[in-house]
Amino acid sequence: MPIQLNHIVGKEYPPFAVTVERGKIKEFAGAIGDLNPFYLDDAVGRASEWGDVIAPPTFAITFRDEQADTGTLLRDLGTDVSRLLHGEQEFEIYQPLRPGETYLCRSRVVDQYEKSGKSGPMAFVVRETAVTDRHNEIVAKARGITVVRL
Amino acid sequence: MRYARLYFEDVQVGDELPALVKGPIQQIQLTRYAGASGDFNPIHQDDEFAKAAGMGGVFAHGMLSMGFVAQAVTDWAGAGSVRKIGVRFTALVRLKDTVTCKGRVLAKSSKDDVHTVDVEIWAETQKGDKVVSGKATVAVPSRVQG
Repeated sequence: MPIQLNHIVGKEYPPFAVTVERGKIKEFAGAIGDLNPFYLDDAVGRASEWGDVIAPPTFAITFRDEQADTGTLLRDLGTDVSRLLHGEQEFEIYQPLRPGETYLCRSRVVDQYEKSGKSGPMAFVVRETAVTDRHNEIVAKARGITVVRL
Repeated sequence: MRYARLYFEDVQVGDELPALVKGPIQQIQLTRYAGASGDFNPIHQDDEFAKAAGMGGVFAHGMLSMGFVAQAVTDWAGAGSVRKIGVRFTALVRLKDTVTCKGRVLAKSSKDDVHTVDVEIWAETQKGDKVVSGKATVAVPSRVQG
């Protein structure tokens, strides 16, 4: 029997602040094997148009908080990590993320639906996260679809 | 690897991005990516857990493959050029898989002195399975307006 999930469209998670660490950018780029000097080399960053190294395009995925992470989402849905797949991910980037900056992240569930795939019934949960800087300017938006195998 | 600057005038619709080959995927890379990203789902680390979950064994984080295709885009268009990138995860990447990232220019446009290029992007394994597919938009400088 497929499991039943709680319906959580509209759920908003508590805003959380993240300060980007220089070492975290390098660790993240290194884990991908992306050795671009604009991420890794402080001297190249200083000489760049941004005045410092910047984060790779998918870096905002590291912005996590215990009150707003996937574990919390799964608890709200009433399931666990073993059924989880990543369906889609999108980032809109208005300003590259930079070391030393503190950003505020606001996440909410914007859609939830079920479909039957070749591997059985699945639920799709769409979450959006807005990332703003200290001037309350939006610097990035993330939109992710979490898939739960029912 | 090249980090040459890409100019708007040098891009034509239909141009292909240089292919970027990543892998073969090793467990240590998935462990590094877990630490770097904060995604410690054991399904990417623990083969017994992944088998018990019905996934047939460990597979790579989708976000790692997205990181690969993002690298293919920035190797071509430059770091900091990506305005938008979105992908669908369409198949699993397994240990020992090689992931080849590709792309093609779909459209160009200029508005208010911002010059953008839309590309379709995808990645496939050595078996020919498409593992991610999507689109990206990059902003690049113009030779005319600097």
